[in-house]
Formats: sequence, structure tokens, C-alpha cells
Amino acid sequence: MLKAIWIASIALSVISLMIMLVLILRRIVLERRQQLRNEHRSSVQRALIEFSETRDGDALRQMMSTVPPAISLEASFELLGLLRGEEHARIIRVLSDTGLAEQAIGLLKSGNKVERIHAAEMLGGFANVAGAAALLTAFEEEPSDDVRIAIAIALSQLGRLLPLQQVLGRIGRAGKESGRIAELFAQWPGDRLAELREFVGHEAEPPFARAAAIEALGNSGDPALLSFFRPLANDASAEVATAALRALGRIGHPGATDVVIEAMADAQRGDLRANAAEAAGRIGAADFARPLAALLSDDIWTVRYAAARALRLIPGGADVLMQTALGTASRSQRMASLVLSEGEVRC
Amino acid sequence: MLTAWASEIFLVAQIVSWVVITSGIAQTLIYFFQLVVAAYAFHERPLVKRSALLWRRYGDVVPPVAMIVPVYNEELNAVESVKSILSIEYPNFEVIVINDGSKDRTLERLIEAFRLTRFERPYEEALIHKPIRGLYSSPTTPRLFVVDKENGGKADAMNAGINVARAPILCAIDGDSILEPDALLRAVEPFVEDPVRTIAVGGTIRIANGSRIEAGRVTEVNLPRRLIPLFQVVEYLRSFLLARLAWSHIHSLLLISGAFGVFRRTEVVTVGGFTPGSMGEDLDLILKLHRHMMDSGKDYRIQFIPEPVCWTEAPETLKVLARQRARWQYGALECFFRYRSMLFNPRYGRIGFLGLGQMLLVDVVGPIMEVLGYILMPAFWLLGVLDVGYLLAFTALVFTYGICISVCSLILEELELRRFPNARDLAILTLAAILENFGYRQINNFWRIKGWWQFLRGRRAWGEMTRSGLSSASK
Repeated sequence: MLKAIWIASIALSVISLMIMLVLILRRIVLERRQQLRNEHRSSVQRALIEFSETRDGDALRQMMSTVPPAISLEASFELLGLLRGEEHARIIRVLSDTGLAEQAIGLLKSGNKVERIHAAEMLGGFANVAGAAALLTAFEEEPSDDVRIAIAIALSQLGRLLPLQQVLGRIGRAGKESGRIAELFAQWPGDRLAELREFVGHEAEPPFARAAAIEALGNSGDPALLSFFRPLANDASAEVATAALRALGRIGHPGATDVVIEAMADAQRGDLRANAAEAAGRIGAADFARPLAALLSDDIWTVRYAAARALRLIPGGADVLMQTALGTASRSQRMASLVLSEGEVRC
Repeated sequence: MLTAWASEIFLVAQIVSWVVITSGIAQTLIYFFQLVVAAYAFHERPLVKRSALLWRRYGDVVPPVAMIVPVYNEELNAVESVKSILSIEYPNFEVIVINDGSKDRTLERLIEAFRLTRFERPYEEALIHKPIRGLYSSPTTPRLFVVDKENGGKADAMNAGINVARAPILCAIDGDSILEPDALLRAVEPFVEDPVRTIAVGGTIRIANGSRIEAGRVTEVNLPRRLIPLFQVVEYLRSFLLARLAWSHIHSLLLISGAFGVFRRTEVVTVGGFTPGSMGEDLDLILKLHRHMMDSGKDYRIQFIPEPVCWTEAPETLKVLARQRARWQYGALECFFRYRSMLFNPRYGRIGFLGLGQMLLVDVVGPIMEVLGYILMPAFWLLGVLDVGYLLAFTALVFTYGICISVCSLILEELELRRFPNARDLAILTLAAILENFGYRQINNFWRIKGWWQFLRGRRAWGEMTRSGLSSASK
């Protein structure tokens, strides 16, 4: 027993110190490698910038053949993120002959989770035929939700996205509750918005994802969506209903006045009342003055504040605020005077 | 008669020895468990090396964040710290600095540096705190707001900041800390990837002593030149890269450091914010959040992620460090006994069994057992009731195991994060990991016992944290 304890002690210290020694030696090697990587990286970036001036594709290809493909890929992708339009397209054309997309495809197949997400993003930026095919294959085979969303976003950038139901079927429940779903919906092709509308109608889908789809649709600012959003403002899910109210506010059509007033009277859901007040401010109809004034004495501070701010934005609302502020001391009087003293209100 | 006494002493000695050894073995197993889980967690969640990628990926979808920065007598660091916070890379944030009735020129320094003027801003009085004397904004820095209030302690100041904040996500940061530019973007990642369940996220705290700091940023990472902060570097690595990562991975994290934590405002307000007067307000908040979420049957996540880094100034003298450690111990005991009904309570699942269970072993019983071991083992040996061979063997095992755990945290740091710039730093830290077991570890336990004693006597004392200032940490 005694001997075993001594052996364990010595073994523990020797093993840990030996590992540390190996790591220190490894670090010395890595430092040298990193220095070389940095030099290569700078060379690639310099070559890319020179290419944008000289447009000498052969020189760029020649230079890139002298550095490890992983470094070229990384440096190119970083620069491409800063470029737009013709400049971007020109570099993509040259890079398509350098085998960088194949490098990214390899990473998409065999990298760790972070590397696979990154590979999907790079392939989305490179607009390469083989890359798109690899993304489609990976979308079917990929085990991670996070990577599948990244692939879906990349496919959307390439205009190769599958039908929404198919995409969401692969992304899965957890993926539908990721904030990145909002990014996917925000990039959704304008000519395929009907798919988002259909998705919003599925009440069994997670409210978070439905709300994200409503936000994406609302960002289009299309007044034709008014009739679509109106019933959603009364949805059983507060998340969906508030998203619909925000969308109605963004459209700013007076045709939403009655549903917004109705939402302002929702006794159960404070969030809804606050968002309805905000939407009222954006729509800016004079009809909102009375219900907004009533909300100035709401039990919830955020509702009172949203109502007071909205009053500053609608015709005649400032007068209502002023009268309330000059009235007897009360919850609404305090809020009115606070918001009047707040300074300029911007939407 | 004497023989009868001797046999009784021998029996007591045996019992005490076994209690101490059992407690030691249990703690040893906990450390080993932490090590294995932390290594697995790193493997499971590879790190995104370049923050530019995160900006590209999340720049459009991250939620607005309110940075809440309580300051008290921080005239040396406040301006530098606020500048550092204002220079972070994040698309949508506001900075709310709360001057908690400082007795020095903290407020004046802020007013001068940012040309602050008084202004009105409506805010919800959702949490109780000491009266606010005035709100200030900066014409040159629209993101910055300063709240000047009567002194009420850190928790009280935090609550005032939370009231004034409007963003749905709050980031609590100490006034003496410096955030890395990408820290917030990295810390908010779980709120983007799992926005429904994530309610709190903590990042890594690192020690800035010895590093070069320019314009509110750590521009060159160096190790402290003095031994005390150097030992704390090893301690912090062990605490963050092993303990927090491991407990977070099994959803039993009990502590997000008050120096840098990100929270969803709704839940913080629902639980009544930080508990005023609490010595461990950060631990208290997390326990409150766990209890609230479990009581209401909601699925939630409280996470630690190692990549976001916040730099802080560590105490450089034994006197200041002693006060800090006694205070930490006091805070841990205060929270443990305040939430004792959660311990081993099936209603609170792994938080009650694993989280509070390990707290009982490591924070409550741990220091007492270790100090008992240091005192009683040699005493028993002197009395002739303990075999010298076993005494030496066990002592050696305790020390080598301590070294092994510290070195393992260094190994994880080197393999996964590699934040220390060169091989020489690794060698120095390895040496520190060995040396801290001889003297520093023991004195640390003594301070924790002091914390226990203060807790039993009900003596609360924050004590003054003497600082040299982060801006002067580069020498």
C-alpha cells in the first residue's frame, strides 16, 4: 500500500512534468511555424491587393501555388468579405482555378464542427459549382444542427436553396430555435416569400421560428402583406403576435389601425400592448391618441413608456402628452413629463 | 489509566484521519472529474480562432447589450476601463457606468474624460436600490451613460444599472477590468445559437498584472513579475478552464464571475436582481436564477465559455489577497446557507446534488478538512499514533496531485487556447504550478478559514482593494 502511494505520487509528477516539457518544446516549434504562416498570409493578401490593381491572374495563381492552400483559402476568404461587385466577382473567377474551393470542400467533409461551419461560409462566398454540389450533399449528411444552418445560409447565398419545408425538416427542432434561423430567413429569396408565409401558418412550428419568418417578411415592407399580418396580431403565441405587430408597424399602413388598437387592449399580455403602442407610433394615425393615452397609466412600465413615446409621433399626440404632464400627479403624469423631457424621439 | 487514554487518543486519531482522508479523496475525485469533463467539453466545442469570422456570422443577428459597470473609488482605473469597454467590437451596445457614491474623484475623472453632462432618461424602477443623484450622458460618446447614486454596495449599484438599461441582454463587468475587443461578441454567441433557453453566460477572467496595456486594451500579454499574482494566474486557469467549464458542460454551473457575466434582463429582473448586501452577489444571482427557473419548470441554460476574456488586476500583496479570499469564502458560505434548502433536494436535480454537493465538499468543508489535515497529521505523528511512512506518502500524494491538476489546466490552456505568447511563459507557469503547492496553497486555506470565522461571527467587511491601476500595469 505504502509503496503504491509513493509510486502514484512519483508517476503523477513525472507524467505531468513530462507532458508539460513536451508542450513547451511543441510551442517552440509552433511559434516558428506561426511566424511562417503569418508571412505566407501577408504574401497572399499583398498578392490579392496587387491583383485588384494589375488584374494579372497568372501572377496571382503563381503566387498562390507557392503557399499552403489552407493559408491561401483563409486569406482570400477574409479579403473577399470586404469586397463587393465586379471586384469580388473577378477575384472569384481567378480563385476558381486555384483549387481553393476543393480545399474548402475537404474541410466541409472532414473538419471539426467549427471548421465545417467555416467551410460552408467560404463555399457560400466562392460561388463554385463543385462547392454548391458539396454543400447540397453535406446538407443531407451533416450530423450537426449548427453546421446544417450554416450550409442552408450558404446555399441561399448561392441561390441553390432547397424548398423551405425540406430545409427546415433537415435543420430540426433545435435548429429552428437558433438565432441563426433569423439570418436564414432574412436572406430568403424575394421570389420565394410564399414559402415563408406558408411556414408562419403552421401553428405547430416553434413560435421563435415563426416570429423570425414574420420579421423577415415584415422587412420587405410590402403593403400587400397587411391582410396576412392582421390575424397574426391576435395569435395565441405572444412571440408570434408581437412579431406581427412589429411587422405591421414597419409596413406603416393605416389599414392595421383596428388590430393595433385591439392589441393595445389585450389585458393579459403586456409585451403585446407595448409592441402595439410602438406599432401605433410608426403607423402614426390620429385614431391612436385615445388608446395610447389610456396606456399611459398601464401597470407595466414598458407599456407606459412605449405609449408615451408613440404619442410623440402621432398627430395631436404631443398635445395629449403635454396636457397629461400638466395635470395632477399620477403614474401617467410622471411618464408624460419624463418622456417630454427626454429629448428628440427617433423611430 | 494512561494506557486507556492512549487507546482512546488512537481511536480518535484514526477517526479524524479517516474523515480527513475521505474528504481529501472526495475532493480529489471531484478535481479528476472536472479535468475529464473539461477536456471533453473542449473537444466537443472547438474554438473559433478569428473573431472576424464571428462578426461576419453574427453581426446582423446579435441582440443589443447593455454593459453595466459599477465603480467605487476607481479613479485610477475607471476612465481606462470605460474606454476599453467602449472600444469593444460589437454592433449594438450601450455602456452604463454606475458611480456607487465613490469617495474619491471617480465621477469627476469620468466627467472630465468624456465631457459628461446631466440629462433625463426615463427608466423602470423594477429593482430596489439607493437613490440616484443624477444621470449623465456624453455628447462625444453617445453610447455612454453614467449613473451617479448614493453608496449601496456593488449589488445595489448593479440593480440601479439594470433599471436604467434598456437592452434585453445585460453584461456585468467590474470597473477595474478590461474586456478583450471580441469578448462580448463571443460571450453573446450562446444567446444567438440558443436564444430561447440561454439566460446567462460567463467568460474567462485573466490576470493583467505585468501585461502591457495601451488605450484600454491589453496589447502584450506578459506574466506578472511578482510571485503572488503569478500564483493567481495558475489558480485562475484551474478555476476557469477546469472547474467552470466542467460544471457548465453538465449544466450545473453555480458561478458566473461578477467581473464579467452576460445575462438576459427579463430573468434577472424577475428574480429581483442582485441581492443587496450580499458578499457573493454573483454566486447568489446564479443560485437565484437556477431556483427560479427550476421552480417555474422552464428549460434553460447557464453557461461558461472559455474564449471571451476579461482582464483584471490581481492583488499583489498578501494583505490585500487575504482580505479578498476571506471575503470570497464568506460569500460562498453565505450563499450556501441561504440556499441550503436546494442541497440534495430532488426538486433541484443536478444543481441540488452535483452543484451544491461539490460546493459543500470544496467550499464549505474543504478548507476545514485541509487545515485539519495539516495540523493533526503531524500532531498524531508526534504523539506516535501515526506511522511516519504513511504520513510522508500521503503528504507527497496530496502535493503531487495538486501539481498534477494545476499542470493539467496548463495543458488544456496550451492545447486549446494558447493565450500565453511564448514557450518561456509556459515554463514559468509550470514552475509556479509546482511552487504554489508549498506555502501559497496552505496560506490560502488559512484565509478561507478566516472567512469561515468571520462568517460565524457575522462580521462583514469588503475591505479596501488597493490597486496600482491597470494603466500602469505595463512596466
